[in-house]
Amino acid sequence: MKESTKLRTNPEQKAEPSTPNRNQAAPPKNHASLKRRVEPYIWLLPSIVMMGVLILIPIITVFQTSFSEISKAGVFKGFNGVDNYLWIFKQAAFRTTLKNTVVWTVVVVGLSTIIGIVLGLVLNEKFHGRKIVRAIVVFPWATALIIQSVVWKYIINADYGALNNLLYNLGIIKSYVNWTATPQAFFAWECFVGILVTVPFVTFCVLSGLQSIDTSLYEAADVDGASFWDRLFRVTLPLLMPSLTVSTVLNIIYVFNSFPIVWTISKGDPADQTHTLVTYLYKLSFTNQRVGEAAAVSVVGFVILAFCASIYMVMTLRAEKEE
Amino acid sequence: MRTKKNPITRAALYLFVFVVCVIILYPYFVMFTTAAKSNDEMYAIGGSLLPSVWNWSVFVEIWQDAPVFQYLMNSLIVAGGATLLAILCGIPAAYALSRMRFKGKGIFMGAVIMSQMFSPVVLLVGIYRLMTNMGLTNSLLGLVLLNAAFNQAFAIWLLRGTFTSISSEMEQAAKIDGCGTVQALIRVLLPVAAPGIVTTLIFVFINAWNEYTIALTLISSDTLKPITVGINVFYGFNFIKWQHLFATSIFATIPVIILFLCIEKHLVSGLTSGGVKG
Repeated sequence: MKESTKLRTNPEQKAEPSTPNRNQAAPPKNHASLKRRVEPYIWLLPSIVMMGVLILIPIITVFQTSFSEISKAGVFKGFNGVDNYLWIFKQAAFRTTLKNTVVWTVVVVGLSTIIGIVLGLVLNEKFHGRKIVRAIVVFPWATALIIQSVVWKYIINADYGALNNLLYNLGIIKSYVNWTATPQAFFAWECFVGILVTVPFVTFCVLSGLQSIDTSLYEAADVDGASFWDRLFRVTLPLLMPSLTVSTVLNIIYVFNSFPIVWTISKGDPADQTHTLVTYLYKLSFTNQRVGEAAAVSVVGFVILAFCASIYMVMTLRAEKEE
Repeated sequence: MRTKKNPITRAALYLFVFVVCVIILYPYFVMFTTAAKSNDEMYAIGGSLLPSVWNWSVFVEIWQDAPVFQYLMNSLIVAGGATLLAILCGIPAAYALSRMRFKGKGIFMGAVIMSQMFSPVVLLVGIYRLMTNMGLTNSLLGLVLLNAAFNQAFAIWLLRGTFTSISSEMEQAAKIDGCGTVQALIRVLLPVAAPGIVTTLIFVFINAWNEYTIALTLISSDTLKPITVGINVFYGFNFIKWQHLFATSIFATIPVIILFLCIEKHLVSGLTSGGVKG
């Protein structure tokens, strides 16, 4: 990277036909350096414009809306300070939602990470049918969340669901069981589906990380008479940390923001007991027409995620400094 | 990680893998067998696991009962357009990030990561307003733009990892031979980076194909719905045509799984390299 930069500053470098402003004869030194300074930003421009318009503007709108009174018809009625925030925190449903969101994120990301590590380690071994298993593990990742959610909604149905049917046929149950008798049971199933669709990503991150581990480290560990657990905790896991950090941070964001599973399986019901933040704000905004309040819920979500993202950024910047 | 193989660990290993595979495959088994069951059999308590008579006609009926083909075409347009746009904007950005030094690089990388934080769902209120102002609600172009933008960060991340892992020596040699930066990128770097680019392409395509929430919110015309939203036609408030729903789901899933299996190998090498180093 350093060398290429040096090369670009080389005054003898020939004019580049593809960039017109470069065609002027014999570039004086400061012209070249100006171009060199501006050039990277030109390369970034398309990206910046696209994300600026389609992501940044909505972010600003959401912040504005969260401090505004919006009529049910969607008309702006002026700023109302923190009224929306006060309103949402008064709702018992919102407090349940916050609690659910934390449980949902921690349980799904936590268990997925643990299962993903084990599965990744196993799939890194050589055994018969490994290729097939690796292909199968991809399935939940490749299937639209909405489809996974609908199938599982059917599977756990109390009246005619496939799980009841399966267990009955296997002779494990004598009569059909209501798998979602309580909101907690509903939510637990949603967490289960969340884990199922999150594990593949972790598994492949782990496999990716394992690939970059130098096998000579294990040979060295063997020479030192290291046990299986020594190798796992002293060699493998520490070296997997960079991959696991990436997968965990991304998963926290994805799972936190995951909408279709909860929306399809329970729609936040019964009595708004199984919402996560995103389904709650969707319901507020598009079912109850409470746009300002929904925006306030969004902002609360940003604040929670910004905290997680800042941890990641601090770690990334530190890693870059070390280089 | 190498472990010494004794029979018990081996058996445990196989058992674990077997259980995981069964759980993963179970929903697909359910989709397939339920789709082919008759209504009576599906709702019967204690009915058999497999359909007693395989009712294949449902796989034909769905195409007539609903504009399933149109839904699939819409998904194709949205996912294809979004992929193209995300890659065309992502390649130059990733190139600059992997080959150039400039002020604000850290900030831009930070912004890219931060943008991942704002999922379309949390921004729906703002997105809806923006798209209304741009006149792009209920339009496939709107979906293309949004999917491209929300996948941009991931595309840049994967591409930057690929570019960084390729030595810049060849491009330097090409530049000494009189190639411009753009030419060096197109003629030298892109061919070498092809596997990584294909991985990114497919990845963005799959994300856009599977996207649900934006389309659910923005699209109201039946003829403009992508497949993920379109399958809701079989899913009303007081009726659910499970067989049709599952048959359509199978058609919506198979192409994506095939695409995913194509990049499985590259996925392992490309996934974490971009975020960790460079």
